[in-house]
Amino acid sequence: MDKFALLQFYGLLKREVLEHRNLFIGAPAVVALLILVATIWVATQIDQSQLAEGLRYVSVLFDGLSPFDMAPFFMLLAVPFYLTLYVCSVIYLINTLYQDRKEMSVLFWQSMPVSNLQTVLSKIVAIVVVAPIFYVLIIFAMYLVAMVWLTILGISNDVDLVGIGYMFLAAIASLVLIYISALVTSLWLLPSVGWLLLFSAFAKKTPLLWAGGVFILVGFLEDFIFGTQYLANWVASRTSDPNQYLIFEFQSVFERVFNYDTLFGIVVGAILIAGAVFMRRFTD
Amino acid sequence: MSNIVEAKSLTKNYGSFTALDGVDLTIPRGSISGLIGPNGAGKTTTLKALIGLCDVDGDLSVAGRDPRIARHKLMEDVCFIADVGILPKWLKVSHVIDYVEAVHPRFDRKKAEKSLSTTDIPANKRIKDLSKGMVTQLHLALVMAIEVQLLVLDEPTLGLDIIYRKEFYDRLLNDFYDGNRTIIISTHQVEEIETLLSHLVFINKGKIVLDSLMSDLPDIYTEVLVDTDKVAQADALQPIYVRELLGKKSYTFESVSREQLKILGELHTPSVADLFVAKLKEEKHG
Repeated sequence: MDKFALLQFYGLLKREVLEHRNLFIGAPAVVALLILVATIWVATQIDQSQLAEGLRYVSVLFDGLSPFDMAPFFMLLAVPFYLTLYVCSVIYLINTLYQDRKEMSVLFWQSMPVSNLQTVLSKIVAIVVVAPIFYVLIIFAMYLVAMVWLTILGISNDVDLVGIGYMFLAAIASLVLIYISALVTSLWLLPSVGWLLLFSAFAKKTPLLWAGGVFILVGFLEDFIFGTQYLANWVASRTSDPNQYLIFEFQSVFERVFNYDTLFGIVVGAILIAGAVFMRRFTD
Repeated sequence: MSNIVEAKSLTKNYGSFTALDGVDLTIPRGSISGLIGPNGAGKTTTLKALIGLCDVDGDLSVAGRDPRIARHKLMEDVCFIADVGILPKWLKVSHVIDYVEAVHPRFDRKKAEKSLSTTDIPANKRIKDLSKGMVTQLHLALVMAIEVQLLVLDEPTLGLDIIYRKEFYDRLLNDFYDGNRTIIISTHQVEEIETLLSHLVFINKGKIVLDSLMSDLPDIYTEVLVDTDKVAQADALQPIYVRELLGKKSYTFESVSREQLKILGELHTPSVADLFVAKLKEEKHG
């Protein structure tokens, strides 16, 4: 890929972030703010000495332990962000190839020397690779504020700061796990990504209704004609277990990606994404 | 003069509605071509087909490429402005410039900024906060900063007041057109662009009803204000259109020699607007 092609792709990604800054930045920032406000409110309801005692206990707990071993403790804190990213991804994917057709700006985007494949790929990379970076940065900022507060609390209550430092390192290490979890989950859910994009490119109105309606219809027809529920079971098997969405240790990444279920999903997703690229040709 | 657009038997159906019905079209390179037609005639569909935004049947070549196969490659050589609504409303002016600079290999940012500096458009404003005229000025400034062979304009001044419309076409002629580049303008506001055109195409109900160089029009079409005592003679020469004018009758003839017509009355070359009405009425009445 030449330098211009890279700059071009960067330009496409920048466009996505600018257009969807509420989903990429606004939504996680609000979640972070709510968590911080809630934490501070809770802290004000607790007696100072009890709070210091709790901090001392946590400081001792983390002191000297590997940040990556302790990182999973912070994964729970990431769950609200994870759910937010999930909801924002659905909103983004179902609208991204529909909204510009609705407001006719598609004629401007299509009047530029950018192929439909580049456009669709930029949208996938934006939500799968770029959006989680913003989420992680916002979680980092939230941890930073929390750590400053805990450090001040620690100093004023004579708590060992080294333990708090270890806790902060574990929090940072969890960010890496959160980001990898988001990437691996995207691969796992690639069929959903492709399905939403396909109907975003296809529907003239209410793309979410189309995406949901056609899925239900296909499942119903399978049941009605063949008496089977393979589609429904397949989707349920890929969405029902929360453990499918979080990675607690690096060692598991390889097996989570390179297994039959994930790779089959990637193939199905790629076919649906190719369908979205094809549908993008038609703006009318 | 070679042709930058060559289209043969272009056909497009939307359900039972035929938008293009076997359109044959050639646009000479270096021309300013007007695609004139009433609303719903097939102008926008034709232009969208030329830049690969609409799937059509038939043979089509634009700047040596088939738009249906390589739209993104074609758009390195072709720019497109539709009516004022198409710039994304949520973008800031500076963001639009950033975007075009990032994705278009032939965009000259300095040229665009210089062009914009002569307008009242602030770089930090969003498109939605600009007036219609400003949006068109912005789009034109972007397009003029791109080194392309062909500029396609679909009703570019729709909804603009007379000052913006005049300024738009002045800039187009002075800052973009250099005799080598080609411009295709679609509109139903014929009078506005009549003096700019070197090539004229009328389209109606998805069919081309006239395709001619402007310089050939006087040889083909003649309007005669017929003296009242010569009406029968005029009728015998099979005019394509007759209308009442100042108590007399004005006849429009196609491919009848001026030698034959000069005995009927005062001769003129019909204006594009009059010719447009004449050709459409001819279509209607067969």
